[in-house]
Amino acid sequence: MASKLFVRRRDGRIEVKINHIGRAIIKEAFDNVLQAEQNPDHQWHVSLNGPIDPSKDSDSPLSMFARQREISTNAELAAMTVEDEFLNDAEAWAWLTTLQVALRSTVQSFGILDDEKWASAASDVQGYVQNLQQLLFELADVL
Amino acid sequence: MPSVKPQRISSTDTSLLVEDSVVTEKTWNVIVWNDPVTPMKVVEVIFKKIFGYSNNKCTQLMLQVHHEGKSVVWSGARDRAESYCVKLQVSGLISTIEQA
Repeated sequence: MASKLFVRRRDGRIEVKINHIGRAIIKEAFDNVLQAEQNPDHQWHVSLNGPIDPSKDSDSPLSMFARQREISTNAELAAMTVEDEFLNDAEAWAWLTTLQVALRSTVQSFGILDDEKWASAASDVQGYVQNLQQLLFELADVL
Repeated sequence: MPSVKPQRISSTDTSLLVEDSVVTEKTWNVIVWNDPVTPMKVVEVIFKKIFGYSNNKCTQLMLQVHHEGKSVVWSGARDRAESYCVKLQVSGLISTIEQA
């Protein structure tokens, strides 16, 4: 039986059983989300700023600010804890949301918006997406 | 020690009462859209965290997103709808609002 990547301990903490290769993938995803939020030229920037109300060209400045601040805060906390052996619930939630933002941004930037596009995507892109999916699935299972 | 008499409110004093006229606010829906890669379990966990719905309701909404392409996950005042929509987007789901 394959061992799990995340294990909920009796004291409530979540143990991260991921090797250095896995952590490098996660760190890259966290760093990309942080950079994308701050840099308008980043490939993922557009996917992080979709309008709340599609009938308008852009959101209210307050909503845009709230979203930018929350995404950055989650990504910063996630990046700060990427080498930790144990996570608390707040840190694990920051990991989950930042990995999910990275997953969505990846598929949007490659135009993978339906099953047909997914099936025809390059194998390295599929591999990267499947890694993120596995991490997300296992993390959601302990939250 | 001075005695304290309770104040009586006359029957004509209605300033504290709810008035009959009701201001109706338009209802806005928060919609979550399907995407081909987000694990179902992740969608359920995000719904539970943001809205506090039961496990059954989270599963029901997630399945509606999966099978029908979208689901209305909350309805109400515009300000709150916008706030929930931002929280869903921050969590990495594709979400918009629309007037009901």
